[in-house]
Amino acid sequence: MSTLRAAYLNELYKLSKKKKITVALLLAVFAVAAASLIIYGVNSFAGIRITGSSEFSVLVLTVLSYTLLPLFTAFVCIAMFSGEFADNTIKSTLTGPAPRIKVFTAKVLAIATFIIADLLLIMLVSVAASVLLNGWTVRMLRVLISYAAAFFPLLIFALLVIAISNTVKGPTGAFMLSVLVFLTFIGLGFAFPGVKSFMFTSNFDWYRLLLGSYINFSKVLRVFLILSGYGIMLFGLGYYLFDKKEF
Amino acid sequence: MGTAVVIDNISKIYQNNRGVKNLSLEINDGEIFGFLGPNGAGKTTAMKIMVGLMRPDGGDVKINGFSVLSDYENAMKRVGCIIESVTPFAYLTAYENMKLRARYYAGADDARIDTCLAEAGILKYKREKVKNYSLGMKQRIGLALAMLSNPKILILDEPLNGLDVEGMVEMRNLILRLSRENKTTFFISSHLIHDIELTCDKIGLLYDGRLLSVDSTENILKNYSSLENYYLSEVEPSVNS
Repeated sequence: MSTLRAAYLNELYKLSKKKKITVALLLAVFAVAAASLIIYGVNSFAGIRITGSSEFSVLVLTVLSYTLLPLFTAFVCIAMFSGEFADNTIKSTLTGPAPRIKVFTAKVLAIATFIIADLLLIMLVSVAASVLLNGWTVRMLRVLISYAAAFFPLLIFALLVIAISNTVKGPTGAFMLSVLVFLTFIGLGFAFPGVKSFMFTSNFDWYRLLLGSYINFSKVLRVFLILSGYGIMLFGLGYYLFDKKEF
Repeated sequence: MGTAVVIDNISKIYQNNRGVKNLSLEINDGEIFGFLGPNGAGKTTAMKIMVGLMRPDGGDVKINGFSVLSDYENAMKRVGCIIESVTPFAYLTAYENMKLRARYYAGADDARIDTCLAEAGILKYKREKVKNYSLGMKQRIGLALAMLSNPKILILDEPLNGLDVEGMVEMRNLILRLSRENKTTFFISSHLIHDIELTCDKIGLLYDGRLLSVDSTENILKNYSSLENYYLSEVEPSVNS
């Protein structure tokens, strides 16, 4: 356990020292601020009400769930796997006393921590923007549920990018293939509505199932099980590929 | 005297038919073992298998009694290594790189980090980012990282790469001192025959992936005027066959 803890702290430390991570977090804040200004402008000057203050945070999450959040998540995953393979720093990590399963798990935990931090930051900024624009009318429980639930599909996407990073040579190739797979999954969802519910990319906004006045628990459970299935398979695949890799 | 490293019939063949073939070897506690061989003989492949960077096609390696394949954590607990080029994280300082490794070891506090950096000769640059370091300085960080856990075994692949003459002498003296004072076992590969002769007390000759011979430096120098002559006499029959 102490080895896994040390490996996790190391991955977090490396992540915190990467400039592109800071830039990604700042961009997320900027995106929320820009969105709130646009909504305020449209509301004040055109008289069109896009969203109420309590829905603003959820709207921001819905937009970012399909754009910046997966993009930043992919950046981090690729930096922690493909990036380290490319500059050979992975050798420094793997010749320590931590076995590969612990190094892999530590990296996944660090990526999960980054996703949580990213979501938390966006939630705080969007709530603050709502309060500034409309006063304290935010329904915090709805916002909390939405952001907490949004973590799960993003983690599944991260595991997919990790598996790709362990397959494709070079960070650029891994990034391009990740984007392609992401778009293909979304495209398949649109082209074949029958399989849409099985695509994890169609469930980035699954938190909406929990926000209505009536909650269909069997549907929530089905989505949860589908996402869990993806998670288990992709974690297994990612570790298998990482374990087989030679340096 | 116990056995520090047991290499048990490992093989690893690449697509070009090069690699390591049925390599078996035992290194005793406290020995300084020199792994000699020309470029492409399989030295680095064997050492990568020893530290888990590669998996062999067959065979096993035991370090301090633990299999690297099935009990990596215990096998590598008291092992330090430099394999091929040293690649620390360029966006971190030397101290931060050391701190990453220190988290794994209970006794590796800031004082221990400073001691290792001082022994490697880069203490005064510890707050500088590694991206500004020369090849020799990176090699020295590699050595400091390898020494951090106060290891019982040091596996060093071409440790003199990138070092100037002064650095080579310092490295040689450090190896001899650690062996004398701490009874550290060394497994060193090099193509610099003279340095192997001056440093190692047991020598293994690898050629075309096969171990040609293992003998003590003392014995070799009893029968040959230099290690170079011994090397050529052992290798030439293989070249001709």
